[in-house]
Amino acid sequence: MAQLISIDPVTRIEGHLRIDVEVENGVVKDAWSSGTMFRGIEMLLKGKHPFDAQQVTERICGVCPLVHGTAASYNLDDALGVELPDNARIIRNLCLGANFIQSHILHFYHLAALDYVDVTAVAKYTGNDPALAALRDKIAALAKAGDVYPFLPRYESDDYVSDPELAAILVNHYVQALEMRKKAQEMLSIFYGRMPSFVGTVPGGVTVHPTVSNIAAFRARLNELRVWIDNVYIQDILTVAGVSAYAPFLTAGDSGGNYLAYGGFDQDSKGAEKFLPRGFITGNNVAAVGELDEDKITESVKYSWYKDEGDWLHPREGMTEPDVHKEGAYSFLKAPRYDGKPMEVGPMARMLVLAGLELSGKRKEKKLMPLIEKLGLASAVDACVQAGKFGILPRHAMRALECKLLADEMDKWLDELKPGEKIWDKKDIPGEAYGRGMVEGPRGALGHWIHIKNKVIDNYQCIVPTTWNAAPRDKNGNRGPIETALIGLPVPDPENPINVVRCVRSFDPCLACAIHVIHPEHNGVKEFRVV
Amino acid sequence: MEKKGVTRRQFLKYAGATAALLGLSESLIPQIAQALEELSSGKPPVLWIQGQNCTGCSVSFLNTNYPMAAEIVLDKLSVRYHPTVMAAAGDKAFGVLEETAKELAGKYVLVVEGPVPTAEGGEYCTFGLEKETVSFNGYQRRKDKPMTAWMEELVPGAAAVVALGNCASFGGIPAANASVTGTKAVQEIVKEIAKDKPVINIGGCPAHPDWFVGTVLDYLINKRVPELDRHNRPKMFFGKLIHENCERRAAFDAGLFLEDWNDDNPDMKLCLFKLGCKGPVTYADCPTRRWNSGVNWCVGANAPCHGCAEPSFYKDLSPLYEPLPEVHFAGLTPMVDTLGWIGAAATAVGIGAHYLYKQLGKKEPEGGES
Repeated sequence: MAQLISIDPVTRIEGHLRIDVEVENGVVKDAWSSGTMFRGIEMLLKGKHPFDAQQVTERICGVCPLVHGTAASYNLDDALGVELPDNARIIRNLCLGANFIQSHILHFYHLAALDYVDVTAVAKYTGNDPALAALRDKIAALAKAGDVYPFLPRYESDDYVSDPELAAILVNHYVQALEMRKKAQEMLSIFYGRMPSFVGTVPGGVTVHPTVSNIAAFRARLNELRVWIDNVYIQDILTVAGVSAYAPFLTAGDSGGNYLAYGGFDQDSKGAEKFLPRGFITGNNVAAVGELDEDKITESVKYSWYKDEGDWLHPREGMTEPDVHKEGAYSFLKAPRYDGKPMEVGPMARMLVLAGLELSGKRKEKKLMPLIEKLGLASAVDACVQAGKFGILPRHAMRALECKLLADEMDKWLDELKPGEKIWDKKDIPGEAYGRGMVEGPRGALGHWIHIKNKVIDNYQCIVPTTWNAAPRDKNGNRGPIETALIGLPVPDPENPINVVRCVRSFDPCLACAIHVIHPEHNGVKEFRVV
Repeated sequence: MEKKGVTRRQFLKYAGATAALLGLSESLIPQIAQALEELSSGKPPVLWIQGQNCTGCSVSFLNTNYPMAAEIVLDKLSVRYHPTVMAAAGDKAFGVLEETAKELAGKYVLVVEGPVPTAEGGEYCTFGLEKETVSFNGYQRRKDKPMTAWMEELVPGAAAVVALGNCASFGGIPAANASVTGTKAVQEIVKEIAKDKPVINIGGCPAHPDWFVGTVLDYLINKRVPELDRHNRPKMFFGKLIHENCERRAAFDAGLFLEDWNDDNPDMKLCLFKLGCKGPVTYADCPTRRWNSGVNWCVGANAPCHGCAEPSFYKDLSPLYEPLPEVHFAGLTPMVDTLGWIGAAATAVGIGAHYLYKQLGKKEPEGGES
């Protein structure tokens, strides 16, 4: 008999997410994703100085302030007609890259790993490695004192990695990763002042000049991180992916085969060439990457707690009025769609778009496919292509591969900085202008749109990665990517729906980003209801 | 103590780090070590919940060095609930909140990140499930539990409440939409539930990890709430103006201001006042403490202080990149260019802040004055 399992809160993500799954005969039959927190950030930008947008929107999310601040800067650059100096472009790329590194490490080790590794098994470690023995003693002492928070309680499962040695190594890396992600934050604070809530990018450029000493300080930390990514992060991904119990996750958790990337890390001042390319894929046809048409982005609110008048509009004309009592609605997230289709965004979307362009020869310099080959992952990728499904494990693996590709490339970008040259293109704020800033964050495609009127912000809107991934159904009844990915997952024990959270977490959801609201048409703040 | 897996040597190490963090004399290390030893026999339970937050303060906490995050979470405190790091999800997760509230009443520290929305029965922020059910796609599912209900449940049994970050402390950015979501600062909610419950506000957007960790350790070691200003912020971290200790104060006093980010003066870093620096009205120790393991801070990155540790952030400090209004000192011309001279002439920086607030047409902050 079918039953409904509600998971609230889905922890080890950013923000407030509830997942409901209908389970029949031990398998997920249907799923609903609900964002359950609402603030009101764009609203307070109305009437404000356009430069404030960068500082305010980065407060949308404390995990990814970098990405919002960067999108806001590009958005303003577009509206002001800025010609971004090379130094500024490169520093923005370097700091965005540093944030990718810290976010990806944080995600795999601190948000996802506890779904796969049995921390309590560490207490049985019998080897001689002093670091692991110290870890064992600590865990054993905590267990003896009956205080193994925050590792227990948890969903129990018989497929956790429970070999004491392997578990000890992985948990040790969990602790190491705390320090490594901290180093990545230090790295970007060299140019951007601090993290979270950084200050170093402004419309028109950046605030810090590249110097011999800050380049060296950045590179020293980057080198340390690159060694760790190669020797630890990538190896741990391969280890977990090699656990036989997890083999089904290669294809289980597929989001429906549609992927979208705005592209990021501009390689020239026009942003024509990007290190991570833009494009979209439908129906898991990886080799056929389509060219993005920004006008095909719309948002549906049929199942969201907003009035229906705002349904199916482009973000530039979008409107939103909350209606928490709306019949049938179940989320504060809207449902963004591309050409009417739900789209997965994030590392897997980016890597599949990149792979598609490399495979079809549209991208001359190949980086991803050789790396996949080198790491011995080619047969696993082939298996996914054959099945027409990319599931939970590829999502983690692509994130790690992207982390490595970026970290290696960042070393080259440092060489391109030119101390002494311009970092800022000063432009006046126009009386009226539209702008848009589209970038990639660790969690996927992020777009900011602005309308400046009388030299102040008249309208500001963001469509963020998790709105794409964790979206509810749209007016045509299409499920969001996470909802689709959950269907078919095995849930043998309704008390311990571990596979459901494994799948959801593989998307690295960020709900604080995802719930945003705007009302571009009405001027009165009273008529405004915003997150 | 030994059975907790912690040695005497480790306690001395922690004590040294704690002394450094709190700016205390090394001669106090033995006393701190002893206090930490006593603590280890019963690590204080911590419940860390999130309201209308962005997780920035949690992420900032992970950047702590003295001690490091793993040591705090495993050795210093018993962090029973933290939605971003705990293994449990769903009922297993919020069950910990319910059990701790019952079994350890009076003993746990409640950390709240993000403010609390109260409109629409609290439906603008929910987590965990109530006992009552609602119908959902043909099923009866348990109702979402609002943050307000959790506050009712968890505040009475808390030994102390820590409001972490500017949003929790003062409402922050979500409170700017209070007309819709009914957002309130944590201290307002606590006052309604348990009038005399101590609330410590750790401001900042985000809160510096040292401000939080230092306050918690100080509370645990000295067994009392640290000295607070009138905004309930620990004076040890929020006692002085940014402007007072700013490394660019000399440029301000000399009237040398940065107006174009392309200007790079290697001899003297120019003052950021004209680009909107709110350092003259912001109380925090950023200039001396700095951020991210001391690597940098906002002014160090050639960017103005945005005043993120002030109760008035963000709304009343906008526009962020425009200078604070001109200062009128008795008998002097109110020119920004001469402000440096005025500052140099002023006997106390606190006086400068007072005048700036007067000129802003705003009420002077009640606490934090030097």
